[in-house]
Amino acid sequence: MSEMKPSDVPAAEDSSEEKDWAAAKAFFDNLKSNKPRPPKPRFAVTIAVSSRTLFNMVAERKIYEEEGLEKYVAFQVEHENEPLKPGPAFPFVKALMNVNCRLRELYPDSEELFDIVLMTNNHAQVGVRLINSINHYDLTIERFCMTGGKSPIGYLEAYMTNLYLSKDSEKVTEAIEAGIAAATMFMPETENQLSDTQLRVAFDGDAVLFSDESEIIVKQHGLDTFFEHEKQFENKPLAQGPLKCFLEALGKLQRKFYAKNERMNCPIRTFLVTARSAASSGARVLKTLRSWGLEIDEALFLAGAPKGPLLRQIKPHIFFDDQMFHIEGAKDLGTIAAHVPYGIGQKYNRGKLIEQPAKKE
Amino acid sequence: MVSTVLNTDVKQKDSEHAVVVAVASRAVFEQGAGGDDGVYAEGMAFPLLQALQKVNKRLLEENSAESLLFDIVLITTDSQQQQQSFHLISSTKHYGLEVSRFCFSTEEDFIENLLQNNVHLFLSTDRHEVSQTSQKGVLSALLDEYTASCPSEQLRVLFCGDAVIRPGTNQTPASRQTAQTFSAQLGKMRQKFGISDSPLSIALMTSCGGRDSCGGALQTLRSLGVSADEAYCLAGAPRGPILSVLRPHFLLSNSFGVLED
Repeated sequence: MSEMKPSDVPAAEDSSEEKDWAAAKAFFDNLKSNKPRPPKPRFAVTIAVSSRTLFNMVAERKIYEEEGLEKYVAFQVEHENEPLKPGPAFPFVKALMNVNCRLRELYPDSEELFDIVLMTNNHAQVGVRLINSINHYDLTIERFCMTGGKSPIGYLEAYMTNLYLSKDSEKVTEAIEAGIAAATMFMPETENQLSDTQLRVAFDGDAVLFSDESEIIVKQHGLDTFFEHEKQFENKPLAQGPLKCFLEALGKLQRKFYAKNERMNCPIRTFLVTARSAASSGARVLKTLRSWGLEIDEALFLAGAPKGPLLRQIKPHIFFDDQMFHIEGAKDLGTIAAHVPYGIGQKYNRGKLIEQPAKKE
Repeated sequence: MVSTVLNTDVKQKDSEHAVVVAVASRAVFEQGAGGDDGVYAEGMAFPLLQALQKVNKRLLEENSAESLLFDIVLITTDSQQQQQSFHLISSTKHYGLEVSRFCFSTEEDFIENLLQNNVHLFLSTDRHEVSQTSQKGVLSALLDEYTASCPSEQLRVLFCGDAVIRPGTNQTPASRQTAQTFSAQLGKMRQKFGISDSPLSIALMTSCGGRDSCGGALQTLRSLGVSADEAYCLAGAPRGPILSVLRPHFLLSNSFGVLED
């Protein structure tokens, strides 16, 4: 799965990279406003958000689907001075910005920050409205790619993206297949009130942080076999899942707060919300995390109980799960949920094998 | 000494309205041995020429009487290659390239030649050459390994909009004018196609400034009649990886001088 960031850069590129970097630094340092400059990508935790996850573009999307691309672009241009409303990733982005503020206070010279990039296949003319909207909310998003219809996947890699959020499940699947942590976002009808001082991220375990190897056993052989298997292999770490590296990146930033005695006041908190039960299959999960050197702040073993009510208590800015059943449950009770289209869970709906339609050419 | 040879295989363009693009012949063909049949192998800028032709083809499909077309001229300054002029012309005809004419001149004369031929854009793989022509007010772009040899389904032009931070070298009023003229022509061409399925895509990239720099550059392009399709704001992120995905055929810096390293 995705590695954190490449640490070696070919020497020839280095000097021109450094020039661009120095020029950007100079640009931001000379700005009259106190806009923080974006971090050096190699050291940052890069989060790429699509336009529809950052902003609510449901009405505009409808125009695109019903009236076509030309009418859609014309509409966006006509309304480009009207800011868009927040989308599902908006609270998450605000929480990331808050963490950056706290990090800058403690480590003013560090480049280890969140870097938020707008990654959209929208046309650049639509981009004007997006820039105006970002300005309206004063979001610290200084980097973007507006690909004018082309796939953004290549750019995700070029930006060394650590996490990609989109509403388009095809793009998300493509990203995961390219080794980039990614998820499809869903907006609840009514949102829970979220913290504005602490970023709270909740993860499902199997097929999100971990591989789907155990889930395969459940689906194919049933729960009893699953419990026996997990007990037997309690001390064997599970393989990595698509979001493991993102948890790792969060952990790295958390440790920076711990190093400055801010553990009790840490603006990042992580949660594991798993259908596994503590008694029978939970141990393996905790031991796997320990073997990876990763910490998770709270582990919640539901033993099969629905996740929605618990998530409503936790109030995460984002909740990652591989099964649509859980995503819907979370959404119904006000949690912003992100579907990770990975593993055997995609072939099933509520325990039944889905009839696969012929693959689109 | 300057000599111009018309390509009789190709219909000459309307000089009032055409966009004259001069390309250094050594960029278009691998002028080595020339092969047994005297036909040169394809050079780095070959796909670029094909992309320019594709635009012309589509423009004529939209309007068979269209006069806003690319008028492609091959420039040869190397005297050795001038002796090979026969091979150059026959290679061009062999590949069916839509080159209107061939200009042969000495290194001293060729800039004058460009100006006389009302060249709107000069493309070459020679950095020194591009620097010279730029200084004399001819809009020029350097072709290198990031550019030119990209797949030719679509002509991809990249505007680099960082003049705010790094003012271009030798930006004279004349060079600003030629840059604006070319941009306006390109913008007009682009308007003849729909948003999707266009044989021409115009991208904007800002390397150093933040989102407002890029937003401002988008507006500037709009004021020149150019509606950019793609926009990339790097704000200091390394441009190499982005360019290798973007794959423009050539880059124009906003200051319309030579793109600095």
